[in-house]
Amino acid sequence: MNAAAPSTSLKWRYVRQGLFFGVVRLSAFLITATLLLILAYIFMNGFRAISWDFLTLPPTDAMTRGGIMPAIVGTLYLTVGAIAVALPLGVASAVYLTEYARQGLAIRVLRIGVNCLAGVPSVVFGLFGLGLFVVFLRFGSSILAGALTLGILILPTIIGASEEALKAVPQTFREASLALGVSKWRTISRIVLPNALPGILTGSILGIGRAAGETAPIMFTAATFFTAALPRSVFDEVMALPYHIYVLATAGTQIDETRPLQYGTVLVLVALVLGIDLVAILIRSAMRKKKRW
Amino acid sequence: MEKDKIIRAKNVDFYYGSFQALTGVTMAFEKNRVTALIGPSGCGKSTLLRLLNRMNDLIDGARVEGEILFEGRNIYAPEVDPVEIRRRIGMVFQKPNPFPKSIFKNITYAPKLSGVHRKSDLEALVEESLRQAVLWDEVKDILDRSAMTLSGGQQQRLCIARALAMKPDIILMDEPTSALDPISTARIEELIDELKQRYTIIIVTHNMQQAARVSEYTGFFYIGKLIEFGPTEKIFTNPSVKQTEDYITGRFG
Amino acid sequence: MTRQFKEILIKNLFALLAFVAVLVLGLIVVFLFREGLPLFRLVSPGQFLFGTAWYPTYDPPEYGIWPLIVGSFTVTLFSCLIAVPLGVLSAVYISEIAPAHLKNVLKSVIELLAGLPSVVLGFFGMVVIAPWLQETFDLPTGLNIVNASLMLAIMAIPTITSISEDALYAVPREFKEASYALGATKFETIARVIVPTALSGISTAVILGMARALGETMVVLMAAGGAAAVPESLFDSVRPMTASIAAEMGEAPFRSGHYHALFATGMVLFGITLAFNLIADAISNRFKEVGSGTL
Repeated sequence: MNAAAPSTSLKWRYVRQGLFFGVVRLSAFLITATLLLILAYIFMNGFRAISWDFLTLPPTDAMTRGGIMPAIVGTLYLTVGAIAVALPLGVASAVYLTEYARQGLAIRVLRIGVNCLAGVPSVVFGLFGLGLFVVFLRFGSSILAGALTLGILILPTIIGASEEALKAVPQTFREASLALGVSKWRTISRIVLPNALPGILTGSILGIGRAAGETAPIMFTAATFFTAALPRSVFDEVMALPYHIYVLATAGTQIDETRPLQYGTVLVLVALVLGIDLVAILIRSAMRKKKRW
Repeated sequence: MEKDKIIRAKNVDFYYGSFQALTGVTMAFEKNRVTALIGPSGCGKSTLLRLLNRMNDLIDGARVEGEILFEGRNIYAPEVDPVEIRRRIGMVFQKPNPFPKSIFKNITYAPKLSGVHRKSDLEALVEESLRQAVLWDEVKDILDRSAMTLSGGQQQRLCIARALAMKPDIILMDEPTSALDPISTARIEELIDELKQRYTIIIVTHNMQQAARVSEYTGFFYIGKLIEFGPTEKIFTNPSVKQTEDYITGRFG
Repeated sequence: MTRQFKEILIKNLFALLAFVAVLVLGLIVVFLFREGLPLFRLVSPGQFLFGTAWYPTYDPPEYGIWPLIVGSFTVTLFSCLIAVPLGVLSAVYISEIAPAHLKNVLKSVIELLAGLPSVVLGFFGMVVIAPWLQETFDLPTGLNIVNASLMLAIMAIPTITSISEDALYAVPREFKEASYALGATKFETIARVIVPTALSGISTAVILGMARALGETMVVLMAAGGAAAVPESLFDSVRPMTASIAAEMGEAPFRSGHYHALFATGMVLFGITLAFNLIADAISNRFKEVGSGTL
């Protein structure tokens, strides 16, 4: 045997490993605990405010009583509008990036553009929406302006998710189709896109969740303090859940008295957004189990 | 005779989940000799190699039955630490896998972990290991350069030097030349010949000429079983089992 | 229409749609400048950036955003002091140590945390953290740097963890095997091989996490207190750039000096986050080109 006697004992090396594993486990635990704590706190304080009336009536008595129905409806409109803008654009961009584009300057610019767009602060999207849609295009503060702004905000998310889904379609599928003399576009529309659909769907649902929870981009483009009436056209202003929370918690005259309403609204928003996210997560894991290639 | 066997497998069965990769393998490896393990893809030769330094521990769902005795001790006994085993039994992989660190740091990686910190000791160790791996003259002036800048053959010799720096008793080589060109392959084979003076070498190879050139003993594996094991010369000229003969003469595999 | 012509048409249509993202980025710049630049008829860029008085509604108004810039960077820095270690260590746990079933649970936790709307965290900071801070440390207000940093850290952690985890996951298996075969323990393999190899990806994660914190609006709007002054202690209130824009835009008369000043603040914010993103992009690209790279 010619091994040198180790001078750093294995025992000590394992002590260090144990310490490190402890610290690392603790971090993961802290993060999980934080999430659960926040969710539990919101639920405990919010569920008492939830009732049929709360969900179906407009606010009354200067927003100190009543429900949040217009805000729920407003968020719904804005979110649906946003996804209607972002989905076609996002999927088309992803198709171009994965199926058509060749390496080169144009692609480099495109990639950097998408990455940078993903990094633009949400309040800057708000300013942009204000400058372009509200002021320049004269949409005014409206569902249209808000939905367009939110749509652009979630565009990078949709592009990223769609790209990933398209890349996951095996190259052999494309080759098989092309080798049969099928044109590129038909290969994409008949083979590639259908196979990527669940992935694109997941990404879009996550995008919807993101759009539903954003406040800053709609503050100057769509949201209003209070309106009991439901919107009649896309040029109307709307209430929205996130903005309603902000307003009740900071700008009301009776902030403390309306606490239960605030908690209730927070609970509804969190349930909505995380529910949407959860659906996406479940779809994805079901999809991974089913996938055979 | 018995004393010359440094490591032996006794009735080893190995499973990946429910798939049995090895069945009843019993064989003993002689000290300071080169033993080659040959056989068609998926025959279990690499699996056996990786059992000898417990690298298969890293695979989820892997299970071993039987014993691997290293210097008379079962390395799969519960009190045995795989880290200690791997310090004594080095390994060289199919694809050269230097760390993305400098040449110097690649060699000193393992010694530093076991507590060698004095600079002069480390420098001496680096030179000694690189000389043994016949790489010293090529890299002595560029020790601070990233190992990733070396050619494939040089990288593989660096990986051998890195294993030698632990002063192991056994070196396991898993198809060490399959990713290399013929010239680099020849150099590695010469190196193996040098190294057997001081080390026990067990090499898995796809290349039967290589097995014939470098090894004293050869084991032939087929579908998870050790079919025949003996002196290389006998296996290649006068095998006693029909399957071995068919494989060697190229009738299958 | 020949088939070939149709194919080319379709390809160009996709290209056109793809470049909408770049176009939008350009339009953002155009409209920020269009509404922001008129400010510099009133004050010089130097006065704007480094002026220490932000009194946009006084007469005469003062448009110095230095306190807002300091506010933004202060809360970002402190949030990262919390989020970087927690985020990176959790990524190590998820990618290298956790058993398979926990791995999936933790990934979902991170995803759900990323999904928490920022207004909810701002609200949580206001109604839970603020009173607690105020009582525990006997402060005039619990809406301060500590509060905002804590909440921002929660926002930045998912970014840092998920990108770091991707980087750790991408470390080639061969490196790990080499390390184990040399008799390294799991910890030594993580500390000396896996993390160093993933370092550029982890740096990208940290930078993007910082950019996230810097650009975050609702949390700082609700939990940072809103004092437009350069802070002297951790328990001082601050008014980061994002908060200032969000809080004041509603009250600023259309195309007044104040309105232009808020757009100009948006320009600064956009410029800083753009720089962060470009740096992150450059680092991750170098990482890709060199492959395993040199350390």
